[in-house]
Amino acid sequence: MGKRVLVVDDANFMRMIVRDTLTPNGFEIAGEATNGAEAVAKYKQLKPDLVTMDITMKVKDGLQAAREILESDPNARIIMVTALGQEKMLLDSISLGVRDFVVKPFTKERIISAVEKALR
Amino acid sequence: MTKINAKHVNPFVEAAMRVVTQVAGIEVRRGHLSYKLKVEPSFGVSIIIGIFGFLTGQIVYSLDGTLAERLVDKMLEGKSPQEKKIMFLDALGEVANMITGNATALLNQRRDQILNITTPAIAAGTNLSIHLIPKPALVLGLITQYGPIEISIAVEEKETLQETSSIEGTLSET
Repeated sequence: MGKRVLVVDDANFMRMIVRDTLTPNGFEIAGEATNGAEAVAKYKQLKPDLVTMDITMKVKDGLQAAREILESDPNARIIMVTALGQEKMLLDSISLGVRDFVVKPFTKERIISAVEKALR
Repeated sequence: MTKINAKHVNPFVEAAMRVVTQVAGIEVRRGHLSYKLKVEPSFGVSIIIGIFGFLTGQIVYSLDGTLAERLVDKMLEGKSPQEKKIMFLDALGEVANMITGNATALLNQRRDQILNITTPAIAAGTNLSIHLIPKPALVLGLITQYGPIEISIAVEEKETLQETSSIEGTLSET
């Protein structure tokens, strides 16, 4: 069975793109969340191998959600997938313990490589 | 003290060219730049994204329905008409999100502060009335083979405390 991924993004379109990229490459979509609060709850419930996390979302943003997930599980593997490619966000994410930072729009190769690397 | 600045335009041109070409394979060329006292979208589909940080304000994307359909069609190649219909607004919002997000990375080269954006608000259809903050805007026209995209950049630059104190210092010396 493939590694299980939780896909977090408020845009249905982006969740579909991530899903359509990962599924044919042997990954299983464990679940999807549309904001940070849902992501934290679904992480606890589904215990995925990896989370792809958007940053700009209503209710709770992705950085806060990543912080909370990593506080409860320091071994959590999270990659940020965001349109906000600012250096401070990258540095803040890395200091939280996030494994990679993928800037949208991304190529299929970029997201697959980030996921594979984070799961090693 | 706030100011609107033409240097904020180029990051949006660069980001729009990069994003639209990558996600939809549609080429984008730079068009006319103008100044308006308030934002008034020219076409039927409008996407509004707020910016806050050392710049504050709104970015409003406006395009006509035909271009919007072409864009979504290209982005969702291989998907059923039903899926395209369901994802229509979501996909357009994501394009605007990517352009704005990529532009903020170009606008913010500093390691010590973040420029945040809001999730997109989308209005599409006829006889719609959109209430926007009445701020002056630089209006950038972009040209594609399927029609124009208009980007209204209504942001104000806030001077940092350091810059403000240096101005005060200069004033007291003269």
